Amino acid sequence: MTLALQLAVAGLATGSVYALIALGIVLIYKCSGVVNFAQGAYAMLGAYASYVLLRAGLPAVLAVLASMGVMAGIGALTERLVLRPMLKAPVVAVMMVTLGLLICARAACLAVFGPDQIAFPPVFPAGAVSAGGIFITYNYIAAGILAAALSLGFLLFYAATPMGLMQRCAADNSRAALAIGIHVSNQVSAAWAMSAALAGLAGTLLATLNGLSIGLADIGMVAFPVVVVGGLSSLEGALVAGLVLGVLQSFTDGLLTPALEDVLRANTGIYSVGALQQVLPYALLVLMLLLRPQGLFGRRGAERI
Amino acid sequence: MGTRRLLLALAVAAVLIALSLLLGRFGAYLVRAVAIAGIGALSLNLLIGYCGQISFAQGALLGVGAYVAGNLGNAGVDGVLALLGAGVATAAIGALIGLPALRLRGLYFAIATLAAQAILEYLFKMLEPFTGGVSGLVIRQPAFFGVPVASDQVSAAVSVLVLLIAWLALTRLTRTNLGRAFLVVRESEVVAKGMGIDVARTKAWAFAISGFVAGIAGGLIGFAARLASPEAFTLDLSADYIAMIIVGGLGSWAGPLVGAAFVVLLPEAIQRVGEAFDIANLLSALRELAFGLLIILFLIFEPRGLSSLLPRLRWAQPRRRGAAPSLGEPGGAAVATKGGERP
Repeated sequence: MTLALQLAVAGLATGSVYALIALGIVLIYKCSGVVNFAQGAYAMLGAYASYVLLRAGLPAVLAVLASMGVMAGIGALTERLVLRPMLKAPVVAVMMVTLGLLICARAACLAVFGPDQIAFPPVFPAGAVSAGGIFITYNYIAAGILAAALSLGFLLFYAATPMGLMQRCAADNSRAALAIGIHVSNQVSAAWAMSAALAGLAGTLLATLNGLSIGLADIGMVAFPVVVVGGLSSLEGALVAGLVLGVLQSFTDGLLTPALEDVLRANTGIYSVGALQQVLPYALLVLMLLLRPQGLFGRRGAERI
Repeated sequence: MGTRRLLLALAVAAVLIALSLLLGRFGAYLVRAVAIAGIGALSLNLLIGYCGQISFAQGALLGVGAYVAGNLGNAGVDGVLALLGAGVATAAIGALIGLPALRLRGLYFAIATLAAQAILEYLFKMLEPFTGGVSGLVIRQPAFFGVPVASDQVSAAVSVLVLLIAWLALTRLTRTNLGRAFLVVRESEVVAKGMGIDVARTKAWAFAISGFVAGIAGGLIGFAARLASPEAFTLDLSADYIAMIIVGGLGSWAGPLVGAAFVVLLPEAIQRVGEAFDIANLLSALRELAFGLLIILFLIFEPRGLSSLLPRLRWAQPRRRGAAPSLGEPGGAAVATKGGERP
């Protein structure tokens, strides 16, 4: 029971970070119809930016904020320089361009920082609390709460502020938005900037939990199952699916894998099921696409032939 | 097919084999790498360029081919049969991956192939009796028609021959009813249905045929490397093949070959430059960076690829509408509607 609770808390913490990245993907998809493969790259770049700024001696809060600012700039620049010339190109071509961006960003970080994992300077105070028999480090608490709060804050922003309203208009019907005087292409740039900033923060949080390496970019690939399970056009869906997948992964890692391996060892020659928790999101993704392709919260109609 | 095209194909194959004989072991290695990549790119081009179904699982499919051919070869099956067996097995897996495409729209399907890639990679590591697990499967020297492939020159010649056969078969295919049905499905599924084309069956054939060719290419990769390991068939390999057909030019049949040559030879060139400037530790990063930039720049500025560049330079003719459409051209724009309308 204690183990289950411990796993649930850890899962919720990583899950809220997934949600943060997935929110960015959904935001970009809603606004510009593009599935952004480079979201993982934004997370990685954000983490490296925080690392550089922290090493330069900036206080933690300032460094993280500054790296979010840098990422917002990079996101807006991507939209202006790469996506805008491709406005009339087919969706598949745009997807491949974002894949190219991911490859470039990873290569650039590899060239500058090398392939080895780097210890991330402490952002949150060291130590842990123990409550109800479980033991959680401040890192996990802070990352989980920060990510969850930002995700909720972002949903509120999107639902209840004038800027959020303009975002929703631009995403729903760009012509109508233009007609009532919304500068749609600025809104799209803003959406990319916000997505990149959110992903950058998520990357920094992940780096505080697991260390910093270019493998961080792979997190973007886990975000795809999250987005599809939640529904590609649903921000709430991304949040819920992120948390659910985080907890599921954590339980798979901590409970299911050992149990399965015990059974297999007793009955067959197989000794290990490997990183089952890494393939689980994709299995869920396939299941979801076959059973309910619009996702948990998505609207029906856009996805089926 | 016109006699001229056939003669051209034969001439290209002859030149490739002559090159592999003249340039020694390294030349043979390069020719073999280009030929095998060319086969894989042809297979992906059939799926993406001709049928309009985007797939990120090409790397894993090549892996399936390598493992199946390797296991058959290790069991003493002749190389030709092993390659055919790899083709059939990969065709089956390819069709399985394609199943969701019968129901899902382009964008969702592309994500489904991403999942297929991840799941296959996991299976490569897990199915130890068949794949040798994380350390990989060691593959014995193959024999084709009982003749062992003893030197790199011979294996290069075998690869070029397979490439020639694949190229002839696939170009012929596009002149059949099925091949034309692929084009119609790419342009508009609604029109295809209206013309009485069974869209689901056409797509299933595209996946099966593309998978068959990919399996053979994978088998050749396995026989060439003598090892099939999980880290050789990752999403990065899929990206390499997508880069090949984009750089070469989607939906043409010379494009994949040009792209394969470009993508295989570029790292070699970068390696030479790197050695000259003494930056060996940056090489893999530089190679990846060049790849990413190539994909981005080609898609933005030259969506019809390298293979369309040459004729235009030579004759300086105005852009022909309707010739070998690509993703960025109006002719290829139908791919977009399948991916969902963009606001």
